Amino acid sequence: MISFNCRPATWLFSLLLFAATGPAPAGAQTGVPAGTEANKPPVPAMQHGRGPKKLALSNAEGALVTLWKPDLSRRELVPKMGMVSIPPTGVDNYHAVVVERDWCNVREAIVRYEYLRGKPSGESPGKLAAAIKTPLEIVPDPIPREHHRYYARAEAGFIVRYRDRVLPGHPVELTTSNGTSLHGISDGDGRVVLRIPDDFPDMVPGERDRRSAELSIATEYQTGGVRYQSALTAAYRVSPEHWQSQGWGLAVAGVGFAFGGLLSGRLSRDRKGGAK
Amino acid sequence: MNPLKNVSVIRKLVQLGAFLLLVYGSTLGTFYLADKLSGALPALSCAFDMNGADICALIPFQHQMDHRLGPVISAGGEILQGLLPTLITLGTFLLFFVVLNKAFCGWICPLGTFQELLQIAGQKLGLRRSESLAPGVVQRMRPVKWAILGLLVFGFPLLTGLGYLNHDLGDPYCRICPSRLLTTLANGDSSELVVDTASTTTLILSLIADFLFGLMVALALTLRQPFCRVCPMLALHAVFRKLGLLRLVKQASPRCGKCGFCAKACPMDIREIHTEMEQRDVTFEDCTLCGRCVEFCPDRGVLQLKYAGLPLFRADSHYFKQRKKAQGAWEKGNLRALLAAKKPRRESGS
Repeated sequence: MISFNCRPATWLFSLLLFAATGPAPAGAQTGVPAGTEANKPPVPAMQHGRGPKKLALSNAEGALVTLWKPDLSRRELVPKMGMVSIPPTGVDNYHAVVVERDWCNVREAIVRYEYLRGKPSGESPGKLAAAIKTPLEIVPDPIPREHHRYYARAEAGFIVRYRDRVLPGHPVELTTSNGTSLHGISDGDGRVVLRIPDDFPDMVPGERDRRSAELSIATEYQTGGVRYQSALTAAYRVSPEHWQSQGWGLAVAGVGFAFGGLLSGRLSRDRKGGAK
Repeated sequence: MNPLKNVSVIRKLVQLGAFLLLVYGSTLGTFYLADKLSGALPALSCAFDMNGADICALIPFQHQMDHRLGPVISAGGEILQGLLPTLITLGTFLLFFVVLNKAFCGWICPLGTFQELLQIAGQKLGLRRSESLAPGVVQRMRPVKWAILGLLVFGFPLLTGLGYLNHDLGDPYCRICPSRLLTTLANGDSSELVVDTASTTTLILSLIADFLFGLMVALALTLRQPFCRVCPMLALHAVFRKLGLLRLVKQASPRCGKCGFCAKACPMDIREIHTEMEQRDVTFEDCTLCGRCVEFCPDRGVLQLKYAGLPLFRADSHYFKQRKKAQGAWEKGNLRALLAAKKPRRESGS
């Protein structure tokens, strides 16, 4: 007869508790891999605070900065000393920061989606993405889901849109703060899919790395004698594939399956024996 | 027997519909969490599945312990303020739960459906089945779901929020839940079936998750509902089962002490359905309200599924005879029987 033994479960829980209270590796605590602190910027740990966020803005003279809330209501933000402070809105979910500057025949725009915390907005981020916030716009398709991010090695889709129509066959350029540049052309639906480059330097295989870097997808479009330049900026993170192994995952699941097979066999023999 | 009069067949159709909705149903809205049906479903519909239509209540509970209640207590704030989001989630959970009670397990849960499909596969392959577990094993397994609910859904996340444990234990149940692997794999996403070496905690949790998933798949081929027996959602349902409108009701008869077909039919091996002679409401803590016990009860009206006091489906001798015959015919058709039938023919041919 099989008897359920609580000891392995107790042992596992104890081990888990020990692992969780013990000192974490330097990379896990600070977001910086051990031994490479000097050349990497510190990254804050998981942020669930509700304080103001700050964005650096260079050459911001004459720029109009607008904060879009999830319900599409807007307010103007005033840059100070090259910084834009995004005040808490009390509403959860994605907000859009739109920076626009008009040089008569050249109109520049930068769009950035920032997740702010607060009471549930009840609004879909899809609504914010779909709203026309500036004439020429690169729209994430989709914006990473709440609690998710852009990751290196992952594919990300974007739609190139001028006012209410998409721009098919339109070139875009993705550049990262780590120095990579990629080019892409939108398809018939105005959609372009780009694989975010895995370009973080000094990666240590098998160790978690919480660094993030900036990416920018830019394009331009000329119509009616006006040249529109637009960019979407976002943060992206190191790919977790550097410290996660699918091969080992499959192998461990296989061990579980084999163990389950043995256990099933024993159970069924026990039942047969018991029935005699 | 007309399949559309067979409660098990009707249940399978409902389960398949719910599976499609909860695993692939994002087309109804979008894949954003804000677009989910409830955000606190009383079934294991996973948030890691980007295409699902809803997420289970255990996810927000863990996050609220970690990011809300724990920090509020640490900062010396008002506990009620820290508990408010949890109470809202619980309220949403109850709004759904009252409607179907524990039938969310037996009729809606994608992981339950998957295990039943595996069991059908095992039966059709002719694998030797363990119809039911020994009473001692069942008894010893029953507290496990409460331990998982207490420790992994509320305990560890709260300790994480209080700052005693590292952040990797903020959602430990999700990290080991087989539904996370099932629903992501069902969407062609294998990124959750990994060994994660980010920290000792993630390593242990990912090893447990992968092993548990493999174990569940193997066991489900021959044993009924192996994971459901230790599922913390079942424990959470058990807490509120008196609030549900759907109930399993028994009107014990003197013949109840004899046949025991109801207990044999129960996929959760609840022998108390057979032995209980006093209590009318027999929606026991492990019951998933699948209705199999009612189907296999030969005495008219002894077992009933009642909704808000009104009879929905009740035991009937005529139904029992037809259902038993249909079950026998269903079980006869399997690969082993097919091969065995071909073998003598070949031998006689040679």
